[in-house]
Amino acid sequence: MSLLDVQGLDAGYGDLQILTDVDLHVDEEEYVTIVGPNGAGKSTMMKSVFGLTTHMDGTVTFAGEDITAAQPEDIIHKGMGYVPQSDNVFAGLSVQENLEMGAYILDDVPQDALQDVYNRFPILEERNDQKAGTMSGGQQQMLAMGRALMLDPDLLLLDEPSAGLAPDLVDEMFDKIDEINESGTAILMVEQNAKEALRRCDRGYVLANGENRFVDSGTTLLNDEEVRREFLGG
Amino acid sequence: MGVSERYSRGRQFVVEQPLALVVGLVVIWMAWFLVEGLVTGRLQVNNVLGYLWDGLLRGLIIGLAGIGLSMTYSILNFANFSHGDYITSGAFAGMAVSYLVAGFGEADIGSLLLVGAGGSVFGGALGVGIATSPIGIIAGMVVAAIATIALSLVIDRFVYKPIRDESGIALLITSVGVAFALRYLIVFVFGSRVRGTTAAGSQPQLRLVAVDGYLTINAHDVTLLVVAVGLMLGVHFLLQRTKLGKAMRAMSDNEDLARITGIPTEQVVRSTWIVGGGLTGVAGYMFVLWKGTVGFNDGWLLLLLIFAAVILGGIGSIYGAIAGGIVIGLTASMSVIWIPSEFGRAAAFLVMILILLFKPQGLFSGRTTA
Repeated sequence: MSLLDVQGLDAGYGDLQILTDVDLHVDEEEYVTIVGPNGAGKSTMMKSVFGLTTHMDGTVTFAGEDITAAQPEDIIHKGMGYVPQSDNVFAGLSVQENLEMGAYILDDVPQDALQDVYNRFPILEERNDQKAGTMSGGQQQMLAMGRALMLDPDLLLLDEPSAGLAPDLVDEMFDKIDEINESGTAILMVEQNAKEALRRCDRGYVLANGENRFVDSGTTLLNDEEVRREFLGG
Repeated sequence: MGVSERYSRGRQFVVEQPLALVVGLVVIWMAWFLVEGLVTGRLQVNNVLGYLWDGLLRGLIIGLAGIGLSMTYSILNFANFSHGDYITSGAFAGMAVSYLVAGFGEADIGSLLLVGAGGSVFGGALGVGIATSPIGIIAGMVVAAIATIALSLVIDRFVYKPIRDESGIALLITSVGVAFALRYLIVFVFGSRVRGTTAAGSQPQLRLVAVDGYLTINAHDVTLLVVAVGLMLGVHFLLQRTKLGKAMRAMSDNEDLARITGIPTEQVVRSTWIVGGGLTGVAGYMFVLWKGTVGFNDGWLLLLLIFAAVILGGIGSIYGAIAGGIVIGLTASMSVIWIPSEFGRAAAFLVMILILLFKPQGLFSGRTTA
């Protein structure tokens, strides 16, 4: 059984429908990418999984439980973490305080999880007293991921983790995501850097106009004539 | 640097910064007026120190009351105009208990609980004061906090919460309505007469030698100082060191992110009203204890100065509220050195406008709550 299973999802904001009949699943420890043109509904898909949109039809199941109507604060308890694309750190809080907020739902800050995050992103430990808002975009992105990892989620949703990063940092970011996945966390990622994302993931979805167009392994999609022509720029 | 160069620089400064020039000249004149006055004996050192002391204490009240306003602004995104009447409510609730404790057995309970409405009992005669009835004062302070917390929670539940997603203007106008409703409810219950509350003459005081006279510090000055500074340090500790405080700062930073991080935002809102309401109630009680009178308009009149302080400090920042409060308090009290005392409030607002002209975001700009 899949960890995350989305079936026939229609969703959007208020009366505005963005997604039409989307199916998607993520297995345990799997690394899945959603690619597609701008406005395809990729970010809406992520928000819908996390209970942040209006669901019109279809179901979302996570770890065997129906979470279609669940609120974000319930979903986080079930072992899913979400890193939005922008405004994803508390700018006025220090690095360490941001990480503590990530574990807010626990009674105490889990010291081992905190240490794991610091080991994974040494820059965060170096700067643990710095205000998050004064850090570079790449460091903020790492902090946002670290915050989501504080609860050691089974599934991590990443919305455009490489957006706005300097080119030399993009590779580093993808390496970090590989590492997170290798340590047992399933990943569902939206990326505009489609080729690199498909190269690294286990499976990919191509989303266009709010609908699923292709589903296959990353390498198959990369080599597919039509996908290349229409979505990857040749 | 040649003479002509110096001249052109000076000219440039005058043309580009006329306001800075005028302010500079006024400050120089004020300094000269003060020094000249002290040297010639037109002003007395002990009086100037007295204004300074009075301004500081007034500033602490404004700052303490401003923290609650700033907190609700930064976390709920609205300027609460009923805040002034929360202050008055706290003052009356606390005084009712102080009257009851100080005058228990001496007068009927109804008159005591109505803070001597209609002139039935007098606080001065009952011995309301920190030295003459310490338990009454402490109980009054606690009840002021609790009553204001209860009031702000009830009003939030039935008035603000249902319209929280509306625009800030809708909330603001509603809060003006709440302000009037509360004020005239207070008039209905306690009456409209301003009355003396404390046995000020029976409190011990300290006379410090100050060059040409004495600076008098009374027991209620000290009570106010201790309570205000203690509570301010407490709020600082709460925001910087506790889980709840950090969540408040997180929420004022980015409410959407707080929600997806799993912070129970509704609970944080409630805690904000509890902390802000408690501080506001105590501020109201300390205000009437310190000045020795209470009237239904006290909080409303203070609110304008509190808004000035909070805006001047950088709205949303509690440190800004404290700093702004002290600036406004000192200005209002010390302005009598230069201008007639009726213009003290005007001077406070003038200083606010001037500071905002030079630093439009306020003293602690961009620091929400923290």
